[in-house]
Amino acid sequence: METILFKSRYYTAYQPEKGRCFFVDIRGKKIRMSFCQLLAFRQKVLAMDLDAHFDSELNRHGIEILTLCNREHLFILDTLEVIDLKMFVQGIFAMSELHALVTV
Amino acid sequence: MKDLVRQRLSINVDVMDLLNEQIAKEAHSSSIYLAMASWCDHNALENSAEFFYNQSKEERDHMMRIFKFINDNGGMAISPEVTDITHDFNSLEGIFESALEQEIAITKSIHNIVLKCRKVNDLATENFLQWFVKEQMEEEQIMRKALDLFDLMGTEGIALKLIDERIPKIKE
Ligand SMILES: [Fe+2]
Ligand SMILES: [Fe+2]
Repeated sequence: METILFKSRYYTAYQPEKGRCFFVDIRGKKIRMSFCQLLAFRQKVLAMDLDAHFDSELNRHGIEILTLCNREHLFILDTLEVIDLKMFVQGIFAMSELHALVTV
Repeated sequence: MKDLVRQRLSINVDVMDLLNEQIAKEAHSSSIYLAMASWCDHNALENSAEFFYNQSKEERDHMMRIFKFINDNGGMAISPEVTDITHDFNSLEGIFESALEQEIAITKSIHNIVLKCRKVNDLATENFLQWFVKEQMEEEQIMRKALDLFDLMGTEGIALKLIDERIPKIKE
């Protein structure tokens, strides 16, 4: 059994009942992540320069390369997917923040 | 549903981002002070050089303090890139002026993180940052004391040499 932690248009994050890890579904590939890997994933996604996608000089092809878990996985994402991914990673952590706010 | 993020991370994730930015700022400060120390060294202002070498080291200590705090609490500290370090200075007075400006900017940045902590109820980080709030008050005072010397003695002739001789005292 697993619960959906957060779901965006293209991506889904799951939390299994047992075991302290996360699963992230990217293009049908279900990737297991430890918390550290999830943080690294978040960091990479937030560091992507979205503005450059709208500048034909800075990011000519409007794509982004995402490598995960010490380059075990590789994805090539277009602008829409990057926008969605940025919302996605924030959504995952926002759940925990809500938790913190209601329990204080 | 158990909160796995909270189990792993004792601090708020957005606050963690701000702390990582602060790491970069402390590293930047450390490098600027090193450049200032170099200028003083070249201009035979030995005590001032020593002062800035020491400041540079302190800024790196600040950086490491935050770095360890993030990692100790389950976060991911990011090793910073340092760019845009100027080595062009006109005078010792100018150096101390920009040192004060820089400390004020750092103070604001620290206060900003404290306010964010309050907003998201991150009491642990707020408590951790109290040390920095106090430290910044002292840092600003030290730079002001240096600038007072210029007001008192001017910069003509032997004055610069006399000021340099008094620099070790401003930290007392
Ligand atoms: Fe500092
Ligand atoms: Fe400082």
